[in-house]
Amino acid sequence: MRPLLNAWVCTIYAFMYLPVAVIALFSFNNSEMIAFPLQGATLSWYGQVLGDARLLGGLGMTFLIAIPTAVLATILGGASALALTRYRFRGKAAFVALLFLPFAVPKVILAVSWLLVLAELGVAKGLATMVVAQTIVILPFTTMVIASVLVRLDRALEEAAADLGATTLQTFARVLLPLARNGLIAAFFVAFVLSASEYVVTSFVSGRNQPLSILVASDFRFHLSPTLDALATLLVVANLAIVAASELIRWRARGRAVGRT
Amino acid sequence: MERTRRLVIAALTWPVAAALLAFCVAPLLVLFAYSFFRVDFVTIVPDPSLANYIRVASSPTYRGLILRAIESGLLVAAISAVIGYPVAFFIAKRGRNAKSALLTLLLIPLYTGDLVRIFAWRVVLGAQGVLNSFLLWTGLIREPVRALLFSPFATHVVLTYNYLPFMVMGLWLAFEALDDRLIEAAMDLGAGAVARFVRVVLPLTVPGLLAGGLMVFVLVVGDYLTPQLLGGSSGITVISAINDLFGTAFDWPLGSAIAWTLLGLLGLMGAAAAAAMVRSAAARAMTAGG
Repeated sequence: MRPLLNAWVCTIYAFMYLPVAVIALFSFNNSEMIAFPLQGATLSWYGQVLGDARLLGGLGMTFLIAIPTAVLATILGGASALALTRYRFRGKAAFVALLFLPFAVPKVILAVSWLLVLAELGVAKGLATMVVAQTIVILPFTTMVIASVLVRLDRALEEAAADLGATTLQTFARVLLPLARNGLIAAFFVAFVLSASEYVVTSFVSGRNQPLSILVASDFRFHLSPTLDALATLLVVANLAIVAASELIRWRARGRAVGRT
Repeated sequence: MERTRRLVIAALTWPVAAALLAFCVAPLLVLFAYSFFRVDFVTIVPDPSLANYIRVASSPTYRGLILRAIESGLLVAAISAVIGYPVAFFIAKRGRNAKSALLTLLLIPLYTGDLVRIFAWRVVLGAQGVLNSFLLWTGLIREPVRALLFSPFATHVVLTYNYLPFMVMGLWLAFEALDDRLIEAAMDLGAGAVARFVRVVLPLTVPGLLAGGLMVFVLVVGDYLTPQLLGGSSGITVISAINDLFGTAFDWPLGSAIAWTLLGLLGLMGAAAAAAMVRSAAARAMTAGG
């Protein structure tokens, strides 16, 4: 039984990493064809991607959208995670349902309903609409990331602070916030990555200045080339590096929470 | 003290609730209102009727698309439950120190982005793609297998790939809550491996199956890009139909009616799954108490 189980788990993890590994492998392959057998190594596809001015412009717009989105999603996610993990209150079930509504509703349905409202109110599509739309879609994820850190924090520390005469605000600012800091940073990074790679919702509410994810969309949809392969690999590596950093930060938060109890 | 507590709760929940009500619930309600309107040439006439819902219900095309979305959702939920179950067990019960690392490794592919992921799968599954050229090269096949890409097969493989981590997360939580002593007790009482699984482990992980299954189901039903870009002629889904009605076909009211029919069905499935979860949790509490 046990070798079978181990083999199965390895197979599933291999399946999860197969596409990533394949595009990474062929981004270095010295051939126009993305096919076996391999033809030797080259960096020329990366050279082509990094010399593309259009992509660099899109990258600037991506940062312009992703930073405010990540800040908003982290603040709102932090508030809801705190409410969910620290307090009992009336209407909590309704609050949870509301919070996960953007996760459960198909993105295209959310997007077309925004389209209706924007048309109805005569609001122009642009930076603000993209930030608001992405924040709503990303909020359930930041809430989960922060809540996963908060549930592991020892409540005795907050109670001790309260017993020692700290006000609610002092306890929050001097005990809870420092302890939850790493969770907030992790959530910020996760939100940044989700924002930078979001396509469906963003494409519906984007204006004239488009982020990288929209600029490269038509290429990715209709073409296959080693240059795109190199671009895809760069995007994956950037995303994974940010997520890996945030996970490391989140683990450290756990270690510290446990260490102090 | 009680007053401060209330103030804190209000300060934490109201901004979030207000944002969600304004930017998620309200737009969906506007969509709902539109579903009762009608289109007259190029203008939308607010002349409420159930005509759009009747059109959805009486159209074999739209009924078929909705049915197919639900079938796909159930199928992918079932596949990911079967292949994810041992993985969740392994992480929870055999993971030891590597538990966090295993979970993180499982979730990381979620962050590669929709389009990049689909691009990668096209590279893998295409007629001149990696899998075919690999099989040709090794001599296992003579002709490239064309059915790999642009088929329901490709769509379902990639949908499973996309949403498997959500199923494993749901199941992992259930396995974490599963008390090993119950399995030991069953073993002491002479239950074989099969009996232990069917009568102890499986019933106790039902909430995880339901939670994971519900997440996978709604995500598959709502997936727009995967069928469109990998399904070929099978790529028309209820979601792409809604998208078309809001784009080229310009029939926002009909699109809204299809969208709300789908939301209603998703809501029903969600409510059923939630009720089943509460019931199995109650059953567990009763057995634990008695």
